[in-house]
Amino acid sequence: MKKVLNHSSASDEELVAAARRNDLAAFEELVARHRDKIYARAFSMMRNEEEAVDVAQEAWVKGWQRLVQFQGESSFGTWMTRIVINLCLDQLRRRKRQRTESIEELSEEAGGVERQMPVVAANPTERLERIELRKRIDGALALLSHEHRTVLILHEFEEMEYKEIAKTMGCSIGTVMSRLFYARRKMAVLLAGLRNEE
Amino acid sequence: MKSNMKHDDQLKLQAWLDGELPAREAAEVQAGLAATADGRALLAELRNTTAALSGHEAGVTLPESREFFWSKIERQIAREAAAIDRPAPGLSWLARLRRQLIPLTGFATVTVVCGVVTLHSLTGTDPVAEMELANEDIGACTYHDQANKMTVVWFSDRSRATEAAPDAEILPAMAVESVAAPDGTPDAK
Repeated sequence: MKKVLNHSSASDEELVAAARRNDLAAFEELVARHRDKIYARAFSMMRNEEEAVDVAQEAWVKGWQRLVQFQGESSFGTWMTRIVINLCLDQLRRRKRQRTESIEELSEEAGGVERQMPVVAANPTERLERIELRKRIDGALALLSHEHRTVLILHEFEEMEYKEIAKTMGCSIGTVMSRLFYARRKMAVLLAGLRNEE
Repeated sequence: MKSNMKHDDQLKLQAWLDGELPAREAAEVQAGLAATADGRALLAELRNTTAALSGHEAGVTLPESREFFWSKIERQIAREAAAIDRPAPGLSWLARLRRQLIPLTGFATVTVVCGVVTLHSLTGTDPVAEMELANEDIGACTYHDQANKMTVVWFSDRSRATEAAPDAEILPAMAVESVAAPDGTPDAK
């Protein structure tokens, strides 16, 4: 007799296996479990609620269509996160092509601005409440250009190595290092600035 | 405090902090760059930023209910699956049939051509001798025999021949004007 899968208590692996057999209800359970994480990553990169919802939705449709390619080398959540990151990067590249780069962005790409920034000696986030800290970090991230924000997210939150980031973003390791350095330095300045504003 | 470090050294220090340097280079940086005053200050700033970010990503949640979000995904999955199965809209049954037949016809043509070429190369003979009438008034004919690698050309005055034998289809006045030898050298007879 065929065993009936209890979707709510099944593991991700069991749900993935069922979804690969065209069990749409199993896939719905996977969406329910990971939808916030996928949306959060889309939002952190796009910085726009509506666009983030659309990209997250597209990522889930792609996930369903490409389930056969999922080999289980990483967790299902990580695999889905990679899909949404790639979709966000595609979207951001399209957006960038439509507008002119600012002088500041060009300087950032050349890697000269961060050298002029003074080192922030004090820890700007010391003794901050967790919620307050998250809010400040989110505010500072929003002020970075999408290239710097993306490299920081991929390194600090997704824990990707330089090589992997370079592959994902389609640039050299040197560019990744330079962007990461700038992003970190700018974050230090922004977090310190936000504290001083109080 | 402004750092006097070179940009390459700053990047190297960062790479060391991220554990991206090979062991030998990492040891060099630890003993050199990381021990300088500028290096220490920069490292402290980079560490503070990394520590602040670690585990402090804003907890954003999807601003749509589970049911509504899933219904959109489900509809899109169904729509895209249908688009793959369904032929392009606006095509008549004849156009669809033609679309199916074109590749089949192409395949059949290629197969026939390949078959004829193969047969020809296997037998080494030309099953159909080629005759060609170049001009009605002059009455020129060529005969190409591929087996013997020979070409024969007839020249005749048709008007004269018709006067002499109006009912004859093959002209008695035909003469072999030139024959190409198997090696390709013209041989007039």
